[in-house]
Amino acid sequence: MKPSSLLAFVATSMALQSSDDSEYKIRKVKEKAIHAFLFVCAIFSVIVVAFIILFLFKNAYDLFAQYSMIDFVKGDRWAPTYEPAQLGAWNLIMGSVLVTTGAMTLSIPLSLATAIFISQLAPPKLSGFLKLSIELLSGVPSVVYGFFGLMVLTNWIRIKFDQPTGETLLAGSIILAIMAMPTIITVAEDAISAVGRELREGSLALGATKWQTISRTIVPAALSGITAAVILGMGRAVGETMAVMMVTGNADQLPQPWSNVFTPVKTMTGTLGMEIGEVPYGSIHFHGLFALAIVLFLMVLCINMLARVILRRIAETQIGTGKKKKLFKIPPAVTNVGKHALVGGAGLFLFVLISEWFGYPVGILVLLGIVSFVIINRTLLKQKIQEYLAFGTLSLASLSVVIILGIILFDIVSKGLPVLSWEFLTEVPRDMGREGGIKPAIVGTFLLVLGAIAFALPVGVGAGIYISEYAKEGRVLKIVRAGIDNLNGTPSIVFGLFGFAFFVLYLNMGVSLIAGQLTLGLMVLPTIIRTTEEALKSVPQALREGSLALGASKWQTIWRVVIPPAFPGIITGTILSIGRAGGETAPIMFVAVTYMSRKLPESIFDRVMSLPYMIYILATEVPGGIERGYGVALVLMILVLAMYGTAAIIRQRFVKKTRW
Amino acid sequence: MPLLWVLGEYAMLSKTKKTTKFLAAFGVLAVVVTAGIFAGCIGKGGGDTVTLTVAGSTTVLPIVQQCADAYMDKHDNWDIQVSGGGSSVGVRSAAEKTADIGMSSRDVKASEFAEWPSLEVHIIAADGLAVIVHNNNPVDSLSTDHIKKIYTGIITNWQEVGGANMPIVVVGRDSNSGTRASFEEIVLDKELPTSSMLEKNSNGAVKETVAQTPGAIGYVGLGYLDNSVTTVAVDDVIPTTGTVLDGSYPIARNLFVITNGEAKGPIKEFIDFMLSKEGQKIVKDEGFIPVGPTA
Repeated sequence: MKPSSLLAFVATSMALQSSDDSEYKIRKVKEKAIHAFLFVCAIFSVIVVAFIILFLFKNAYDLFAQYSMIDFVKGDRWAPTYEPAQLGAWNLIMGSVLVTTGAMTLSIPLSLATAIFISQLAPPKLSGFLKLSIELLSGVPSVVYGFFGLMVLTNWIRIKFDQPTGETLLAGSIILAIMAMPTIITVAEDAISAVGRELREGSLALGATKWQTISRTIVPAALSGITAAVILGMGRAVGETMAVMMVTGNADQLPQPWSNVFTPVKTMTGTLGMEIGEVPYGSIHFHGLFALAIVLFLMVLCINMLARVILRRIAETQIGTGKKKKLFKIPPAVTNVGKHALVGGAGLFLFVLISEWFGYPVGILVLLGIVSFVIINRTLLKQKIQEYLAFGTLSLASLSVVIILGIILFDIVSKGLPVLSWEFLTEVPRDMGREGGIKPAIVGTFLLVLGAIAFALPVGVGAGIYISEYAKEGRVLKIVRAGIDNLNGTPSIVFGLFGFAFFVLYLNMGVSLIAGQLTLGLMVLPTIIRTTEEALKSVPQALREGSLALGASKWQTIWRVVIPPAFPGIITGTILSIGRAGGETAPIMFVAVTYMSRKLPESIFDRVMSLPYMIYILATEVPGGIERGYGVALVLMILVLAMYGTAAIIRQRFVKKTRW
Repeated sequence: MPLLWVLGEYAMLSKTKKTTKFLAAFGVLAVVVTAGIFAGCIGKGGGDTVTLTVAGSTTVLPIVQQCADAYMDKHDNWDIQVSGGGSSVGVRSAAEKTADIGMSSRDVKASEFAEWPSLEVHIIAADGLAVIVHNNNPVDSLSTDHIKKIYTGIITNWQEVGGANMPIVVVGRDSNSGTRASFEEIVLDKELPTSSMLEKNSNGAVKETVAQTPGAIGYVGLGYLDNSVTTVAVDDVIPTTGTVLDGSYPIARNLFVITNGEAKGPIKEFIDFMLSKEGQKIVKDEGFIPVGPTA
């Protein structure tokens, strides 16, 4: 499409040149061509989402010719390779729901407390440090979380709670809770910080304490934003693959009773991750997995749509676009229940933490102490002391974020460091990765990321420019936005399935570097679009108007006036995408990677090694590969975190330098 | 490359210094990125590299990987890429020629032969499936009937088979595993395993889990045995090279590599190497049972 529009333009412009040599007309055509090109970029996300849906359905369709849809959804046995094949996904669907519910129970109190602490209480330097910690937490690759969970967390659960196995619902929930925290904290913090100054000042002026202001004025005002944060975190948790697959045990059953968190369970993403790489193409099992992916995709789609609706309504009320739709009227009772659930969850968490460290009797004593204290507090204590207590709890919650990050980093660094050496980085692997080095994996990861960015950067920046500079509010923009948001929310394993079905099989690229690059490119596209859009929007309107008033065309204005100051922002988005793409396993594990290879890839149709996949292999398939796995995990973390660090530095310099 | 065209167009038009600098930066980025793409296509141009791809069973993988390493040590221009995927993928990828050689730890099914009659099967090793438990577990012998009842969920506590009062954690393989297919065909007699079975996607993972979990039972190929787990005698026979070869150990199978059509050229060379004395020695060193003379 692009080359043909280019040709058309060249032809018309030449025609114009010969007939009427007016530079003005040429410019006009050029402007139109650029407009068209940018529009194609913008609509690209929508096309990709449509293709994902199309290919999932195309490959799942054959299942329902042979297998009843009701049996698929309600059947409680997933035994796809037996005669006759049983493809009951109920346990897997509920497994995903339960692990996510558990994760949210743990994650919401901690995340919200941290968000409140960062936005309202922490001094600027501390909140900067916390934000950095959260960014680092979000930069830790999924497979590293899974690796940590498998090596440390599952053993801890088995021994501490005296269970037959630690690979349980609980392990999955804890890992997902940690992984969902950055999303929830970031979005909730934005929502809380966005509450108008006047509300805050009004409350304080009426004589409320700082805590009363926060708990009764600011948090309720930000409640819709907080809800959206929770929903987005949930979307992230449902779609997570590698970490969940490595720690939940993958047993095709549901807990009896439902609250028994020490039951091994299997999730939809775990099943897809385990089985799609080993399934013969075209079998009933193959179609069954795509049907499962559809269920997953639709679930995430609904969750993200819900978040979108809520966030958009907030935006509407804040801009005040005439339509005075009340958000949803949240009855006070619900708010109260929510508040109590919040406090209860946080209390439970602290209780478990203290009990673990000092034994259960101490934990129970502390709990009783706190409860009686709260009762006295409510009735007798002064506001000031209430405030101290509340702030103490919030700071403790924030501290836990740093502690979690610390534990993970310490574990990986302390066990990974002894493995690192020059040879480890520069030699080829031998003995299935247990000896030699990891050079092909480093090069492979580098090539995958480079290709992904080469593909996603032009399209993403183009789309960002279109949305920020050309698009008018209306149906088209709505569709484009929905496309980008859904692409952003699509679970990485679904990208993997799509890449497998579309690039590897349909376009017949085979399992290859190029297929991996394209799949990863699609995955990071939304990040690039969003950061580009944000960066462009932050350029003041007056600059554009000034340029246009001087007679510059629209594109000249964008190219020479708007883009240059937005450039650092775009670079930041690109670097974040590089970090994300470099750490992903699920999208490429059946699209691009190979177990072990001594040679570097010689063409884009070769398979490559990659760091995250190598960690997964060393942790789960190679006996005695664990020490080495720690080494690879450390290298990957250093690379990814270095990317995030660079992005942070660029952003900060940019903020300092820009003075409008 | 519309982007480059846009760049060129505006590079000519641009007059201010700042824009030029910016353009240069963007241009360099674009060139680097484009070069990156094409570098992949062009490659190093080392014409006589022989590349073989092997995919399939993770049980057979260590043998082939070590043979590949040994072969590549001798032949500098060879690149043998070995990847996993499981036996079903091994059969499939050989049949569809997405890999030059497929690996399988189970027999090729009749349905697969019916679909691809040109498949050729080469036995490269024999293997026993050892039943393993945690090192602290006192149980050291089980009958096939016991194992069947454990894997179908009828027996759920070690007490019932003469062990401690401890729940049994049943560990098995993912649904496309050839090891699982062989094991269940011999032991379970077409019954479904219990739904509380933990599924692991490799022999190594099964062994690691059993080694870490006091109540666990699992099954792995002989090549994966070491002192981190305890091997259980099945019907009073310990799996060894001897007991597998003479047929007294009940849970045994062959390991295969598969080609589509008669093996020729480099493919044949490599398979011959695996069947040579040197290759069969690797089979033995990896803990599997050679099917030919060893060096």
